[in-house]
Amino acid sequence: MSTERTWQLLLGALPLVCLLAFWHGVVVAGLAPAALLPAPSAVFARLLEQARNPLFLAHAATTLIRLFAGFGIALVLGVALGLAAASNRKAEALIRPLWRVLAPVPKIALYPALVLILGFEHASKVALVVADALFPILLATYQGAAAVEPKLVWAARAVGASRNRALLTVVLPAALPTILTGARVGLIISAIVVFLAEMLTSTDGLGHLLVYASRTFQTVDMFVPLITISIIGLLLNAGFNGLRKRFLAGFPDEG
Amino acid sequence: MQAHASSPVGFAPLLACLGLLALWEAAARIVGISGLPPAYDALRELPLILSDAEALLNIAASLRRMLLGFVLALLFAIPAGLCMGRSARVAAFFNPLLMIIYPVPKAALMPIIMLWLGIGDASKTIVISLGVSLPVIYHSYQGARGVEEKLIWSAAAMGMQKSARLWRIVLPAALPQIFVGIRTGLVLALITMVTSEMIARQTGVGSILFNALDMAQYASVYAMIVIVGVLGFVLDLCIEMLRAKLVQWAEPAHEIAVGTS
Repeated sequence: MSTERTWQLLLGALPLVCLLAFWHGVVVAGLAPAALLPAPSAVFARLLEQARNPLFLAHAATTLIRLFAGFGIALVLGVALGLAAASNRKAEALIRPLWRVLAPVPKIALYPALVLILGFEHASKVALVVADALFPILLATYQGAAAVEPKLVWAARAVGASRNRALLTVVLPAALPTILTGARVGLIISAIVVFLAEMLTSTDGLGHLLVYASRTFQTVDMFVPLITISIIGLLLNAGFNGLRKRFLAGFPDEG
Repeated sequence: MQAHASSPVGFAPLLACLGLLALWEAAARIVGISGLPPAYDALRELPLILSDAEALLNIAASLRRMLLGFVLALLFAIPAGLCMGRSARVAAFFNPLLMIIYPVPKAALMPIIMLWLGIGDASKTIVISLGVSLPVIYHSYQGARGVEEKLIWSAAAMGMQKSARLWRIVLPAALPQIFVGIRTGLVLALITMVTSEMIARQTGVGSILFNALDMAQYASVYAMIVIVGVLGFVLDLCIEMLRAKLVQWAEPAHEIAVGTS
């Protein structure tokens, strides 16, 4: 079992190593001028250098604050609305048409409007993250809650639990695997969207660093924010899987 | 719920649209800032934009890039995902790479790809298909992993070849999941489309949108937002209808099982 595990890890490292080797090879062979494609060693050296640079860390922190603020609001709203829609006919009649209309709308197009209404600071970016992360979470919560075995709810009601109590103590935990799947999608979308919002209009954050580097043709500095957001995404994903394992000890694992 | 199944849009979403417009109109009247023009002003811009040949060409250019990127992505993402789902080795090979690429905003690759391929259609199409492919790969993978083993054993016992099994058994069985990925992919394709056009402003809805913003033509900004929104809605509806046609059998029996009040 454990040899199979290391074998799989090695297999997974293979494409990454190949990619880096290919990148290095292209640069060394002189196929691409350094202005267009810097060497991987240069990029990683710069990344390590920036990781100790307080200014860079401040930009990364700004991005993270926006990401978590937006994701947190979206999570609370999404789960609340999803549960409401799944448990109450009237709430469903109100929420369902709204999400049918709003969910497929590309929220990034709302960004100019958000900037005009909320300004260039945190608020417009957080609002965009909320708008984008809300629907996957809402949809997953609704589907998860709607798929809960009705007998569980009947049993809880039969032993005297109130409707709300049954919702919180039976439906919510039973829907948790689906909710977490939706939340994970929402989290990754949050990371993507906050970066894009910062690229479009911003004076700080990782996205701004990328745009600034591209305007001044600092190719090495263009790769650093990209790698940073990728690392942030990986860490968030790992943290999420940890949480999932803790919460859902009995449920089958998800890839 | 039967009414929902028969008519693709239904009455309620229309009401929701009207409600949102009324809310917008009211908010604009109450707030009264130039950055939030009343809904009426923005909607009045719509016929102007839609009768302008240049604007229509821009919208068509956006759609062409998006559809091309979308189809390219499906062509390699679905087979890749299915293979990953059926072979632990293939999955172990690709998973770390995909995990690293997933959280990278694909439109953020735009400035770098632009350096290599210019600001034209090629870079935007590539960026869009990258954005679409990841959710499609992920959901195809999940779908192929969840296929009932007995189906595959039966097919194998009847002498079906491995590649035929992938095509005839695994693909249809994974199709409901794949459609979940395609729908997420559509959202990402639209995000990437708008952003890439905003970063490399040449043609497309994204460049009209942000040029209007820069020139402080706020009514046009909101009119373009409405156009992009309708575009997203219609494309999503098309996918939903295709899904309903192809995987009718996978429709859940009870749509709502809890809290039947």
